[in-house]
Amino acid sequence: MKNARRITQGLFLLLFLFLFFQTESKGRDELGYPVKIFLDFDPLILLTTLLSSHAVEKAFYLSLILVVMTLLLGRVFCGWVCPLGTLNNMTGFLRKTSGREKRAGWYRLKYLILFFLLVSSVFGMQLVGIFDPLSLLIRSLSVSINPIFNYGLTAFFDGIYRLDAKPLTGISEPMYMMMKKFLLAFQQPYFIQGTFIGSIFLFVLGLNLRENRFWCRYLCPLGAFLGILSRFSLLKRSVSEDCTACGACNNVCQGNAAPHEKEEWKDSECFYCWNCDDVCPQNAVSFGFAGKKRTAAMDLGRRRVLTSVAAGIAAVPLLRADSHAKQGYENPWLIRPPGSLAEREFLSGCVKCGECMKVCITNGLQPTLFEAGLEGIWSPILVPRLGYCEYRCTLCGQVCPTGAIKRLKLEEKAKVKIGIAMLDKGRCLPWAHATPCIVCEEVCPTPKKAIWFEEAKVRDRSGKESVVMQPRVDLELCIGCGICETKCPVGSRAAIYVTSIGESRSKENQLLL
Amino acid sequence: MIGRRDFIRATTLAGIGLSLPHGLLHIAESAAAAKVDLAVATGSSPATITTAAINAMGGIGKFVSRGDIVVVKPNMAWDRTPEQAGNTNPEVVATVVKLCFEAGARKVKVFDRPVNDPRRCYVQSGIAEAARALGATVDYVDERKFRDMNVKGNVLKSWPLYTEVFEADKVINIPIAKHHGLAKLTLSMKNWMGIMGGTRNRIHQRLDESLVDISMTVKPSLTILDAVRILTANGPQGGSLSDVKVMNTVVAGIDQVAVDSFGATLFGMRGSDLGYVRLGAQSGLGVMDLPKLNIHKISV
Repeated sequence: MKNARRITQGLFLLLFLFLFFQTESKGRDELGYPVKIFLDFDPLILLTTLLSSHAVEKAFYLSLILVVMTLLLGRVFCGWVCPLGTLNNMTGFLRKTSGREKRAGWYRLKYLILFFLLVSSVFGMQLVGIFDPLSLLIRSLSVSINPIFNYGLTAFFDGIYRLDAKPLTGISEPMYMMMKKFLLAFQQPYFIQGTFIGSIFLFVLGLNLRENRFWCRYLCPLGAFLGILSRFSLLKRSVSEDCTACGACNNVCQGNAAPHEKEEWKDSECFYCWNCDDVCPQNAVSFGFAGKKRTAAMDLGRRRVLTSVAAGIAAVPLLRADSHAKQGYENPWLIRPPGSLAEREFLSGCVKCGECMKVCITNGLQPTLFEAGLEGIWSPILVPRLGYCEYRCTLCGQVCPTGAIKRLKLEEKAKVKIGIAMLDKGRCLPWAHATPCIVCEEVCPTPKKAIWFEEAKVRDRSGKESVVMQPRVDLELCIGCGICETKCPVGSRAAIYVTSIGESRSKENQLLL
Repeated sequence: MIGRRDFIRATTLAGIGLSLPHGLLHIAESAAAAKVDLAVATGSSPATITTAAINAMGGIGKFVSRGDIVVVKPNMAWDRTPEQAGNTNPEVVATVVKLCFEAGARKVKVFDRPVNDPRRCYVQSGIAEAARALGATVDYVDERKFRDMNVKGNVLKSWPLYTEVFEADKVINIPIAKHHGLAKLTLSMKNWMGIMGGTRNRIHQRLDESLVDISMTVKPSLTILDAVRILTANGPQGGSLSDVKVMNTVVAGIDQVAVDSFGATLFGMRGSDLGYVRLGAQSGLGVMDLPKLNIHKISV
């Protein structure tokens, strides 16, 4: 069974990575692959989204398949499918094994995290994305691991290219071109907090060196959710009279499910990896559907559960009684992707998976830190100096699993304002420095340009007169895409910049009558 | 105007020229194109008028030789579709690619350094697909291939330019005629911005001089101005079909200043209305005065 499991895990991981790499524009209006499908299968997101926003994208009902599968077979998802689980498995190989491993036995922790998340989502606060394994994985890959991978490989091939040694580049360049076609990003992605988010991810992987599958055993809320379902699963494990209590099974158990305890085996912790069956020298272990299930009772501790429920309740006012939640005090830099719901609804939907940041064609979508409060950490904002919103691109709405960013048609997108650009006359060349420049107007994408000119007679220091065209912004037409800010030739701080004012999704954050 | 008989004779000879062995080609061509400065072809098929204009200029064989590596430089700077006239017409580009291969080109490279996302520009303009279908190499610009070059201009002394343009045997410029906020019109000379690396948008501070500087550096064998559809306002990217005017015209010429000077007339302007055309004429890059030019107009 071990090989069958490993092959299955490998195939799912490859499928996951393939879809991850396909989460990139090829220039057409659509991607052509169901890149968010792993998230669609996540029943924890389905449940918390239903609780927090009382509505859910239809695609999430796919996750009921996983619920049914778990009710039949137990936590097979953790053992056979989950790409983060597989990566944990692979990292675990690096751990030096010396016979019996020390085990922390903190399995209750993940249930407490789960209850915390469920309770806070009842009160409309969606924090699941911080801990959900698929969100965590996609976010970390998008914002950090993929940029690292891309940076390293490109630097390597660029190094060879610059050496200009003919036989070497003859091999390296075709390889580079192949990689560019299938693996490397179209342009090197750079993310705010890339190092931070990457470090958290590497820490999660590093926990495997302490104890194999540490995350899956003790922290993962999706694992906890499936573990509870697993209590009712039809597939059962039984140990025959032949067992000599040698403990071989306990050494290979992936979930720390106490398989050597026979009838005190913790079914909610079992990944159904079949290792205990494989390793048993007496062949005493078997899995099947017949008979009665004998397992240990699930004892989480009443006080602990109460504490996590109380924490889930307390988290809501704790995270909301903060300046970001005050109406009329909108953060100017909280420029949400086009099609985003109004802020409160947006936050109760967004699971911080980073799909939108991965797909953003200009690398302009970036993870927040505190711009939307701690509640909104790692949700997307547009940072126009890093990348603007491409006028005819609707990819972020297409890959958003929860609909926090609505899927827009091209005609709809053209009308959505995400903010408004305004000028910094003290920095603008024609306004402050008697120098011609029209770049903001040239790149402005609205069919009737939102930037227009007024001719003005200006004088330079020596008194020489000239006529320049000074840009103005049409508040009605500007959609806040930020291309003017991205392309403004005034470096460091642009002379024209977008803030969130005027965004279509907000009733309050408006300027015009 | 070129007469019907003249035209038939010219195109037939050019056609014969193309089918003749290489050595005889030049004789046939020189007979067909008795020093035409500009060829202006109008008609409903972009492919036909492109071919006709090039034939009137002496045929593609005059500009492309067997075994050449040819760079074909369209304007595909914007995420716009062909009807919106923000980029060069894909059929015009494809026709030029096809003719280059017919003349024996070893490789035809088509590229641009766009303003919008390159992937969307290449795909949405329709150019990448049309050119690839005919065997052209349509790669994205590789940032490593820009090299600081001596421009020795009045404003631009040195600038990172795309090496593939200078390594090619022949360069053919295929701009589209469009409105532009600062330059008034963008025609052939402004199309060279697409081979500039670095923060090229700074050249708008002295745009006319910079465009002449850069146009003096690149030496195109041929310029084909696409005016199948022209953009009359909200350029250079447009977006509204009401700003697009269908002209069904293609202009071919060797002299960049002459092509742009004629291009201005498509918008009811004169070449002298454009600063870079005036400057180009002054600095000896080309001829601005249309009466001094032998312009062949063809309707097909």
